[in-house]
Amino acid sequence: MDNTNERIAMAPLPTPGELRRRRNAFTQFFRFMRINWTMWLLARKSHH
Amino acid sequence: MARVVVLGAGVSGHTAALYLKKRLGKAHEVVVVSPNSKYNWIPSNIWVGVGKMTTDDVVFPLAPIYKKKGIEFVQAKAFALWPEGDAESDQPAVEVEHTSQERMGQTEKLRYDYVINATGPKLNFAATPGLGPDDGHTVSVCTPSHATEAKTKLDDVIAAAKTGKEQKVVIGVGHGTCTCEGAAFEYTFNVEHELRAAGVRDKIELTYLTNENELGDFGVGGMQFEQNGFRTTSQLWTESLYRERGVKAVTGAAVTKIEPGKIFYDQLDGSHNEMDFDFAMLLPPFKGTDWAAYNKAGEDITSTIFAPSGFLKVDADYTPKKYEEWSAKDWPRTYQNPTYKNVFAVGIAFAPPHQISKPRATPDGVAVAPSPPRTGMPSGTMGKVVAFSIADMILKGAEKPTHAASMSEMAAACVASAGTGFKTGTAAAMTMSPVVPDWEKYPETGRNLKETFGEIGLAGHWVKRLLHTLFIYKAKVKPGWTWIPE
Ligand SMILES: Cc1cc2nc3c(=O)[nH]c(=O)nc-3n(C[C@H](O)[C@H](O)[C@H](O)COP(=O)(O)OP(=O)(O)OC[C@H]3O[C@@H](n4cnc5c(N)ncnc54)[C@H](O)[C@@H]3O)c2cc1C
Repeated sequence: MDNTNERIAMAPLPTPGELRRRRNAFTQFFRFMRINWTMWLLARKSHH
Repeated sequence: MARVVVLGAGVSGHTAALYLKKRLGKAHEVVVVSPNSKYNWIPSNIWVGVGKMTTDDVVFPLAPIYKKKGIEFVQAKAFALWPEGDAESDQPAVEVEHTSQERMGQTEKLRYDYVINATGPKLNFAATPGLGPDDGHTVSVCTPSHATEAKTKLDDVIAAAKTGKEQKVVIGVGHGTCTCEGAAFEYTFNVEHELRAAGVRDKIELTYLTNENELGDFGVGGMQFEQNGFRTTSQLWTESLYRERGVKAVTGAAVTKIEPGKIFYDQLDGSHNEMDFDFAMLLPPFKGTDWAAYNKAGEDITSTIFAPSGFLKVDADYTPKKYEEWSAKDWPRTYQNPTYKNVFAVGIAFAPPHQISKPRATPDGVAVAPSPPRTGMPSGTMGKVVAFSIADMILKGAEKPTHAASMSEMAAACVASAGTGFKTGTAAAMTMSPVVPDWEKYPETGRNLKETFGEIGLAGHWVKRLLHTLFIYKAKVKPGWTWIPE
């Protein structure tokens, strides 16, 4: 029995604070740098 | 002088060709064979499909780049491999059919010392009756022309909704064995974003239809992350986004047939279902190019080199096993064919040893088994390591491949756009390390929790946009291209 839509209906919604953080250019700039840095490190160690 | 022939000029083949030429220099030949005269940065096709980019933004001609770098470009499609040579010569060859205007339909044998199969997927729309833009009733975003058509049809739906008509939009995968669910997920949320921007969201029911057993599986069995002091799952994380954006979902589904305006699908509980649609973008399953292989005497040896799926066998453990018995060690490391040591396959073209996400079937035996994704980052990395190995074999006489990159060791980053716009865009940025869970090394979650994370927000959109620019810059071989990782 596919209960996906019931699960979606029960899923946690982001708080207004989290939604603001997701849009805030200042916070997002730091997240942007962190994501890029992590991806760069992971890509560089992916082979030997 | 050695001659390396690279079949395919996508993410993995183009990367392999550029690194080979860089290492081998003028003393050896690198030849690239591809039926398309242009390179396509496929991840950005999603944005063509919602009208945020045009075909010209995601493609560029290959010939000038290869000319500049001293790489020979043959516009043709490969269809047969002669790894032992033939009656005319002992040198191995690949048989190709030209696709350029001037030589359309002509065939020729290209001799090689090493060959890399990087031909990517054949889009297997024929696997589901009625699937696809050519002979079917659904659209696709797999190629720029498909994505352009999808955008036109999406505009029709928006126009109808503006007249007050309720519309049904379905986005997902068109067969039980599809892969690339991440791309369908991305397109779903980009379309949702556009529908809101057009002011018609309330008139449109948007449903994501997938073969994943649960949301957030992405064909890799889902992920666990640590966030805000809790360990959470990609399932919960994804479900939250569906709730926030009001998107419905059907999981564990195998689409069996499509008629105009109607999708037929089976689910794991044995139910046979139908769903109406005004617009449906369903990705096709992938298979390998239609290959044949022959020994020197001209006898068919296709099954020695290729799996039944058409993907090329490499140094993986293909012993049939139960899902629970498969291990991270089964995954290939060097991408060398075990029978013919000068034949390699990278990117989507190599045959994976097994599914990553647990394969299932309906009571009627219809497979609901997401195939393992081989996304851009692993595909590019494979191209690079195989190029380095072949260069060492040619230049240093190395007897075995000298470089390795297993999907059970390497990470993948997936930045799934959920709407564009410098200030309004959103994307779900995910990294997983390794792609194939290693339960021996990471017994709790199969992956390194420090290197596996997910994050939704504007930053993800900026990353996705930056990747578009950087990867096209890299593919055009502009100064400093080697500094941009795969
Ligand atoms: C819509 C969509 C969105 C995606 N989004 C992302 C994303 O956001 N991030 C990500 O990491 N991955 C994404 N992917 C996956 C990514 O595109 C693939 O991982 C990547 O393209 C695989 O590289 P490849 O070199 O194996 O194949 P391809 O890039 O498909 O290249 C195959 C090449 O082989 C050529 N070819 C085909 N047949 C022959 C033949 N017979 N002879 C010679 N040449 C041939 C083709 O013309 C092409 O040049 C997406 C895929 C799709 C379909």
